[in-house]
Amino acid sequence: MPQPAPVLVARPGSDPFWKAPGHDMVTYFHNVPEYLVLGITRGSMYALIALGYTLVYGVLQLINFAHSEVFMSGAFGSYLVVHAVVGDGSGTPAWAVPFVILIGLLTGALTGAIVAWTLERVAYRPLRRRNAPKLAFLISAIGASFFLSQLAGKMFNRLTNNNMPTYFDRNNVVFTVAGADVRVLQLVIVGAAVVLMVFLDRLVNGTKLGRSIRGVAEDAPTAALMGINIDKTISRTFVIGGALGGAAGFLFGSYFTFYNTMGFVPGIKAFAAAVLGGIGNIRGAMIGGLLLGIVENLVPTLPFIGTQWTDVVAFAVLVLVLVVRPTGILGERLGRAA
Amino acid sequence: MNLAGIGSEQVKRLLACLAGGVALAIMVGDQEGTQDDYGLEFRQSVAFPRILVFLGIGVVVYLAVTFWPRVVPYLTRPGIWPLAAGALTVIASLILLQWFTPQGNGKFGTVRTAVADTSGLSALSKAFFSWLAYALLIVVLVAMFVAAARRLAGLAWAAAGLAVVAGGLGLLAHRAVTNFAPGTPDHSLGAAVHAFGYLVIAVAGVSVARAPVGVARTRESFDRVLAWRPGLPVVAAGLVFGLLALGSATWFSPQHFDADLRATHSLFDPTGLAPLASQYLSWLAWALLAVTVGLSGAGSYLRNRALGLAGAVVGVVAVLLTLFTLHGFSAIGADLNVDSATGPWQNLGSGGWVACIGFFLAGAGGLIAAMASRTKATASPLASTTTSDTSAVTDTAIGAPADTLSGGVRSGSAGARVVGPPSSGRPSSGLPSSGLPSSGATSTSAVAVAERPLEASMPALPAHRMLSGSQTGTTLLLVAVAVALFYPPTATGFWQTVMVTEIAPYVLLAVGLNVVVGWAGLLDLGFIAFFAIGSYTTAYLVGSLPVKPPSWLQMSPLWAIPFAVAACLLAGVALGAPTLRLRGDYLAIVTLGFGEIIRLVAINNPGNFTNSTRGPSTQVPHPVIDLGFIRFEWALNPLQYWYLWLFFLVIVVILFYRLEGSRIGRAWTAIREDEVAAQATGINTVRVKLLAFAIGASTSGLTGVLFASQVGYFNPDNFVLNNSILVVAYVVFGGMGSLPGAMAGAAVLTWLPEFLRDQVPAEDRQMWIGAVVLIMMIFRPGGLIPARRRKAELSGFDHSESAETSAVPLGEGMGGSR
Repeated sequence: MPQPAPVLVARPGSDPFWKAPGHDMVTYFHNVPEYLVLGITRGSMYALIALGYTLVYGVLQLINFAHSEVFMSGAFGSYLVVHAVVGDGSGTPAWAVPFVILIGLLTGALTGAIVAWTLERVAYRPLRRRNAPKLAFLISAIGASFFLSQLAGKMFNRLTNNNMPTYFDRNNVVFTVAGADVRVLQLVIVGAAVVLMVFLDRLVNGTKLGRSIRGVAEDAPTAALMGINIDKTISRTFVIGGALGGAAGFLFGSYFTFYNTMGFVPGIKAFAAAVLGGIGNIRGAMIGGLLLGIVENLVPTLPFIGTQWTDVVAFAVLVLVLVVRPTGILGERLGRAA
Repeated sequence: MNLAGIGSEQVKRLLACLAGGVALAIMVGDQEGTQDDYGLEFRQSVAFPRILVFLGIGVVVYLAVTFWPRVVPYLTRPGIWPLAAGALTVIASLILLQWFTPQGNGKFGTVRTAVADTSGLSALSKAFFSWLAYALLIVVLVAMFVAAARRLAGLAWAAAGLAVVAGGLGLLAHRAVTNFAPGTPDHSLGAAVHAFGYLVIAVAGVSVARAPVGVARTRESFDRVLAWRPGLPVVAAGLVFGLLALGSATWFSPQHFDADLRATHSLFDPTGLAPLASQYLSWLAWALLAVTVGLSGAGSYLRNRALGLAGAVVGVVAVLLTLFTLHGFSAIGADLNVDSATGPWQNLGSGGWVACIGFFLAGAGGLIAAMASRTKATASPLASTTTSDTSAVTDTAIGAPADTLSGGVRSGSAGARVVGPPSSGRPSSGLPSSGLPSSGATSTSAVAVAERPLEASMPALPAHRMLSGSQTGTTLLLVAVAVALFYPPTATGFWQTVMVTEIAPYVLLAVGLNVVVGWAGLLDLGFIAFFAIGSYTTAYLVGSLPVKPPSWLQMSPLWAIPFAVAACLLAGVALGAPTLRLRGDYLAIVTLGFGEIIRLVAINNPGNFTNSTRGPSTQVPHPVIDLGFIRFEWALNPLQYWYLWLFFLVIVVILFYRLEGSRIGRAWTAIREDEVAAQATGINTVRVKLLAFAIGASTSGLTGVLFASQVGYFNPDNFVLNNSILVVAYVVFGGMGSLPGAMAGAAVLTWLPEFLRDQVPAEDRQMWIGAVVLIMMIFRPGGLIPARRRKAELSGFDHSESAETSAVPLGEGMGGSR
């Protein structure tokens, strides 16, 4: 059995190096590039999760509260496969590392997609058939979320420090920008997120499936009249969003730790990010996620604020943006993905 | 679903059932995953044998679902639903409930092995616990099912008789066991619930035997039973409770000692008990029961208003006398320092309280009868050809009790029903069914006209009239009041604590959030923040926070109520004013953020105003009422808080009940349904929404005061985001926009985790709750007790007409609006 490998990159609660004595504005500005790197890393994961919220919102006008559990399942699913492939990770040849990462991403995406599909079938479709009020969907999703996170706790474990196998030195500094170290894993995360988002953008804008998703988001009854199968489209939207969330689960689990309730906080944050960018708007979700990640790292580290206010800052920014622009930064553009 | 051939549908269904079986298999087992193996062992050993059992269950469910259409015709046979309910009750009592508390976990299986190992028990109880219980259950169920399916009256009577015998045998066997081990207090409910289930089955048998027609609508037949002689079922329930209490229940139970009514009398008679109380214990209680039940029953049977009222009055007197007696002898018990009692109301058994429930119900039955006979006076038998406002309906088919085919306008069932011949043209005051939302255009369908010419000329009753005046509603309300008043004292200390620290606060919070979410349709995911503000305001005002208020402001907790309510009101307005122009889901995330911000501010604020994660630094004092001559202090006894909660809950519920139908309440509905249209009709949407926010918030402020002064110490962990989400879940689970629904939802979902404590491993509780919520939403998206308006929405446009429109008083219609 693998020993939990030590992770030196920012782990929640363990690495507030900026809390070291003697921090002041000068040190702060000196550290800004570092914070930006951390923020972009975290933000791109938020963005990946937020895409799931925004896609589902686009077609159903519903907050999929159980998306956080899709994200969590991606981490566990990819762990099982990656662990089966590389064991505890020691002795993995360097040439194999990209493939292992790819495997992790794919299995995470697959798990997420399966869970999201099941979720749609179990918690959403029966209610849609019954013409249930909107909040009933929310509550069934919350029920599903409780159920899934605790079921995962029962099936796997309830520890809070599970680690992915260390099959490469993820803290190896690749290059340095303006004094900020950029590490391998951070590059992997941002790169994977960018690739996935470009892929999604092409999928939504350039394919028949994307057109049907946009059609359903724009006006479901009319789309149905045009020959689009609404049920199938919704189902596939869940699958796409779930795949992105599952992949994010793998990245998140590699970067931090993973556990059965890991979805809750990132889920809320990603939802906030989706709203920040303009919910239902795919590019809005990307921008919102990045922005939230950066703000979370940049603002609370200000010497006169303090990191204990991270969440307050995040939500305050959200409220401010919404008060100024009630439909988010890019505005709601349901259906019009771009 | 375009490849929806029969085959693929079947395959899908089978797969779904098998998947459900696997999920269930994982859910019921022990913790599978451990420290390092991530459930590896589970995955390796997943094939045997549990998974097979559950796959089998999946197949059974699949078969059941597949052959469901063939079962459906039988479900409309009279008596089937009571039979199912009774059977489930009996089975639940055999599986879940305790039969003898001192024996291990006390469940039937445990007692069974213990009884088998014990010599000297009566043969009856030996037999009962070893095989008779199961045999009786199977025989009764099979016989009753055959009787219902084949409509065999004789067999139904026989089965009903056997059911009563079985219930009685259960009680006797239980009695034998408790008598065998005297001195060990037994608080088990198993035998009583078992007997109750058999009683329900017996009722099913009677309705099978006496039903005049081949089909029955469950809800209708239930309503018909209640409507035959309004109040009589309640009186009967009161009689049962009264007999149980006076006949067998424990009245005085210090440790290692149980005294029923007679024993209590012989214990306390020589100790200088007040003569009235002594008389009560010796014979007065029985006399009171007889008089109450007699008066109420006669009032109900004869539809006599005076008799019914007299029964109600005697019932109230009897309740008061019971309380007086309980106080009297428990005070003497405290004087004699029995079992280190420190004051009255200690060491009481359940008997007195159950007697209170019995008297209350018997009196309530009389009251219902009196009220019903008043509406009878205003009902004009055949003149209701115009849009009748009376809630009574002409019923020409009263002959035998079961013939009461009330509610001739129920179109839905009219086609399938064969009507018995009208025997006496006597108008009945029996109110028609309440539950059916049918009304309107369909009621005069051709079938109805053909079968009952008389009905053709009668318009549909407005559905809401039937609902608001329904016997079922009143009956359930009175039963709920009786239980809320007199059940808690009989509960164990654990449940009393749960009731005051979990159930009551969250019920009040859910009632408050129901205004915001259910009526105004604003999704508020940060509701707990107001609860926190209320609690911290209280803590500040009573001087429990590190920062003390100025001395002129320091006060006792109950005086803090207006301040806390005002603080929450202001907070609600402050949050609402900038954000309420946001649409639904944006509002959700903003309120969610607000909730988190409040909690985080409570944890780390400059100057350590709220004492960080530790909460109040000194205990928040308990509430005190000090009027100079009377001083009452709430101490550590949960019961006292229960009645405090109940007092405020009743006030809030009455206020909100009035609010719901008021102009503001209707404005909320309008906004919820269509904000633009509401604005167009002249509603100031922002102001009305703010009002909803403020009212909801102030309710949680009140909750915060009571909570803070009751628990003494609290900390920011009481106000986490999860709790906000849970309160929303309570409201929606119970039925959005329905006051009883919100209360029921909160009560059920706060009760469930504590109940599950005995049933499943502690860490799995949330999983089961999630599953329950999910399944509830899938199969009943309207919630436990759907709001009437919502129900109309859910069932589409057919039924929504009158419930909305005619709820508006004439003077306040379109013309008279603002």
